[in-house]
Amino acid sequence: MLGLGSLTFIESKELCRPPGGQDEDRFVALCLHCERCREICPKTALSPAHLEDGLLNMRSPKMDFRQGWCDYCTENHDGVPQCVKVCPTEALKLPEGAMPETVIIGKAEIKKEWCLGWLLMGCQECVRACPYEALEVDEYKRPVVIEDKCNGCGACEYVCVSLEKGSYISGATDRAITVHPIERS
Amino acid sequence: MKKIKAHTLRAFTIAFILLLVAIGYVTKFGLGNLSGAGIDVVSLLCPLGALSTMLAAKLVIPRAVIALVLSIILILVFGRAFCAWVCPTPLIQRWFPGRSAKAKELKIEAADMVKEAEGVESLSTAENGVKTSCATCSESLGAGKKKWKPDSRHAILGGSLLSAAVFGFPVFCLICPIGLTLATILLVMRLFAFGETTWTLLLFPAILILELVVFRKWCKKICPLGALISLCSGLNRTFRPSIDDSKCLSSSKGIACKVCNKACNEDIDIRRPESSERSLTECTKCRDCADACPVGAISFPLLPPHNDKK
Repeated sequence: MLGLGSLTFIESKELCRPPGGQDEDRFVALCLHCERCREICPKTALSPAHLEDGLLNMRSPKMDFRQGWCDYCTENHDGVPQCVKVCPTEALKLPEGAMPETVIIGKAEIKKEWCLGWLLMGCQECVRACPYEALEVDEYKRPVVIEDKCNGCGACEYVCVSLEKGSYISGATDRAITVHPIERS
Repeated sequence: MKKIKAHTLRAFTIAFILLLVAIGYVTKFGLGNLSGAGIDVVSLLCPLGALSTMLAAKLVIPRAVIALVLSIILILVFGRAFCAWVCPTPLIQRWFPGRSAKAKELKIEAADMVKEAEGVESLSTAENGVKTSCATCSESLGAGKKKWKPDSRHAILGGSLLSAAVFGFPVFCLICPIGLTLATILLVMRLFAFGETTWTLLLFPAILILELVVFRKWCKKICPLGALISLCSGLNRTFRPSIDDSKCLSSSKGIACKVCNKACNEDIDIRRPESSERSLTECTKCRDCADACPVGAISFPLLPPHNDKK
């Protein structure tokens, strides 16, 4: 059992966690893998992590912005994230007075080689989708992330047409704008 | 009409629970699985998981504590029934060979005992002495005074909790056969629903099979969850197996019938609890003994019969 415990020293990939799960050590300690957050998410923005995400992350919830994005349940649940509400062990717990703007799931990053906007095709889907005005266009109408405003809600990744809707960019393996977890200090 | 055997009934119950979990996986109610199930803010947690997480995070989580108290109440009422009627592990183990042979053997033995009993009836009452001595042992049955003995499961339970506290995550959850089974079901569902492929889909069943093949006696020797439940189930008094002494071949006719003992998956000798390898604390209320008893002398009454001493 103690041998198994030492698996914790194997490095695990950092993942975008649901709101309230940003303190990774606390989250890993408390998550029981009961799947309730994933099931209840009104936007189906959660999926279970796999072996590929790290041995210890298996079965834990991660954000899946290809399936949905996180509106912090402002749309239908008065801003009470349902995942946080049902979490039985408080692995997901928002700090006092938390606002969507202060809960940072991750930061969006644009892969310029895959982005239709950066290929000067005029695509601005992500800019239009961003609820926090964290994306703007530069003088060539290319989307740019404003880091300070981005909270990693994933709306941009969700709507990005790269590899979707008939769009094909040679060499692309993912959407052109993706949300990445912030580096742990 | 042929009575439905307890093991069939158990299989149905477990399948029904797995089905509920599977329905939960694709619906939006957030029903959860056996690690933690519930509706809205109310939830029931795996007691081992609840303890491990609190130790790992060194925090007291009010909802986890409430869930723990709920589990203890359930254990007081149903004892270790979870192990036979909810946990999918014994059902999976049944797929491995070796089980049906035992069942056949038991059936033959039970038939032999009945035959022997018929013989005894025509014989003299020379064996009366044995009879009375056996009647006395049945008195201690309800009490289950046999001292509780920690075994390898409890060591593993201690190890898991210690490991969770030291390394800061619920360690046993990684290899828990219940978790692995439910995760495999979820992954298969996601494979078909979203075409989601992952090595985990091969890894989880592999660990599961490895565990249950290498440790054939997982439930009896390894399972820390069973160990945790057995820590409280000693106080359980309801639904305990009770023997009708007037029917029992051993107490009424003095035949050395041990069918119930042999049928017991937990090696409990409910007829002779004082010499039993394991105490009634470990009874999972699986009802295999009641099924195996050649004369149907065993029942699981809600409350212990009145003539049973405290």
